[in-house]
Amino acid sequence: MTPPGVGAKDFSDALKQFEESVGKEWVFTSDEDVALYRDAYSPFWGEPEERVASAAVAPYTVEQVQAVMKTANTYKIPVYPISTGKNLGYGGSAPNLSGSVVLDLKRMNRILDVSERNHSALVEPGVSYFDLYRYIQERKLKVWVDVPDPGWGSPIGNALDHGGGYLRSEFRVHFDSHCGMEVVLANGDLLRTGMGAMPAAQTWQQYKFGFGPWIDGMFSQSNFGVVTKMGLWLMPEPDAYLSGTVTVPKYEDLIPMVDVLTFLENSGISNGMPGLGSPLLGGFMMPPRAPEVTAMLERNGVESPELHKYALDKGIPFWNCTVKFYGPAKAIRAQWEYAQEKFSAIPGAKFQDGEFYKLPLTPEQFNKVHKPEFGIPSLDMFSIGARSPLNPTPTNGHIWFSPIIPRTGEAILEANKVFSQAAKDYGLPLLSFSLPSTYWTRSFIFLFGFPITHDVATNKKNRETFKQVVRVAAEHGWGEYRTAPAFQDDVMATYSFNNHALLRFHQTVKDAVDPNGIISAGRYGIWPKHLRGTKA
Amino acid sequence: MASRREFLQAGIAASVLPMAVAGANPAPGKRDHAADFYKVIFDERFPPSVAFGAEWKARGAAVHAIRGDITDLWFHDLDQQWKKQPVPIAGLTAHGPLFCLERIAWDHGMRVVSRVEQKSLDGDGQPLISWLIAPKQTASKDPK
Repeated sequence: MTPPGVGAKDFSDALKQFEESVGKEWVFTSDEDVALYRDAYSPFWGEPEERVASAAVAPYTVEQVQAVMKTANTYKIPVYPISTGKNLGYGGSAPNLSGSVVLDLKRMNRILDVSERNHSALVEPGVSYFDLYRYIQERKLKVWVDVPDPGWGSPIGNALDHGGGYLRSEFRVHFDSHCGMEVVLANGDLLRTGMGAMPAAQTWQQYKFGFGPWIDGMFSQSNFGVVTKMGLWLMPEPDAYLSGTVTVPKYEDLIPMVDVLTFLENSGISNGMPGLGSPLLGGFMMPPRAPEVTAMLERNGVESPELHKYALDKGIPFWNCTVKFYGPAKAIRAQWEYAQEKFSAIPGAKFQDGEFYKLPLTPEQFNKVHKPEFGIPSLDMFSIGARSPLNPTPTNGHIWFSPIIPRTGEAILEANKVFSQAAKDYGLPLLSFSLPSTYWTRSFIFLFGFPITHDVATNKKNRETFKQVVRVAAEHGWGEYRTAPAFQDDVMATYSFNNHALLRFHQTVKDAVDPNGIISAGRYGIWPKHLRGTKA
Repeated sequence: MASRREFLQAGIAASVLPMAVAGANPAPGKRDHAADFYKVIFDERFPPSVAFGAEWKARGAAVHAIRGDITDLWFHDLDQQWKKQPVPIAGLTAHGPLFCLERIAWDHGMRVVSRVEQKSLDGDGQPLISWLIAPKQTASKDPK
């Protein structure tokens, strides 16, 4: 395979130049090697439309990245940078444009600095969360990294794709907690953002904005440059951790419960990632749902008066919320006490103390906890995807449908109505009720996994359904925060205010900074001029 | 305690593994292969896998137990070993652990060179897979 629009001789010449830049052994062209960059969860698996690479090149230094980009720009070779490429559910390592050369940055795995005094780090894109965690542990530094789950990816890659974690709210949004980056542009030029633009900068990882327009966001979920360094803010190791759970009795209590939670989070009182649940409806990490509850849900849905009466008669709370705190032991106990005062405004609210850990964790505690909530990367979630009584026909993966909705109880109820109806309309497995995730303090996100199989007909149906639910969500003002390449055009099309002014601006920038359109063509719906209209 | 049936089935799975290490052993079946593997991995949740681990331990192999999650195995052992020198490992596990180990192995120039679903070894409804991960140059000598 050659990249689209590139002749065999030009491609061969470019590959030779790549070899001269990075070493022959770091340019991969065999089918066996290139196949490793397939998306294991591709919704086009095995179909002609599956997005696959033509080759891969793995530089070791920023100078090598610059050399590769200059060659690619000369020969107009499309390149697709990846960090560690573990982006499962959102596209993996595979490019948007088939035939692209994967620019694999895994060898650039240097941890350039970890400051225990400033609680920050400076890393390259091939550094994984595990690498950074190991570095910190070996040096006994009192800082935590906010890790996603699973944690085998790259802090840079995850931040650039707007991933989230589990620690204190100011660290959970990984792009928000970055500080400064270094970027190689399409022509090989090297740029540093924020204070890094100052040659003698002493505050690159301390002050984000530098001077003039703050452009870091333009390199996230985009294709305007290749990020080769990034600063990260780390969380000081707290003195203690505490969790507590509030339960409320009635269906409509969801609304004030969310309001109190949001107040507590935005006030900095509850600073860990909260969890929403329903003791009545059951679900993940909940007791099994009673059969009669299932019957009532099937008859009349979650708004069923008989269900509401059943909950009150049986004394089963309709909702619960687990709030979490990091900080000095005395302080977080007081914060939990204050949280209980605020939740007590809801009649019938009850409270239960959860886990309290004086940190660092003992070995016994280490083995018991959800590790990402303590800055510990883990792969444990892969142990739950196999065949089981609850999952009799395991799929080959999933793609995430992940719309952002307002952070209100009303929005949760409304979204459930809308998505339940969409499930009926499009023949999806019907979910009786879902609660959103709480990575962000100002909005909710739903995460629905669409199954990926190795059956072409099933995948085709699921792709079409996925596009329909994206459209349905957009009609209600709920947009995807991130999606796999197969759907990035569809999602970008929903951000259409004023005749797609945002996309038109992206395209204007793309044409200016990458006129040959060589970087990640089509990523997040941004196609270079010569492919615009033909691909999107 | 594994039943005799489980033990025999595990033995069948175990006997499959050395066949794939063509580069490591040009005469498969002629000697015990325990020394070919840096570690043999088994999952404590599944009796057939436990029996598999016990058999390899009896043969003198270094074995490592998991409970579905490979984090500890990888972080405290394989990651550091493979950074120094990629060496073969084998196992009888569910799909999830193998999925993770395979992708991590790729980053160290290694490949899954044998992957056999042991349908008769269902444990708690989970099909187990016997597998072997070996350095790429060894993998390329695999006659398959």
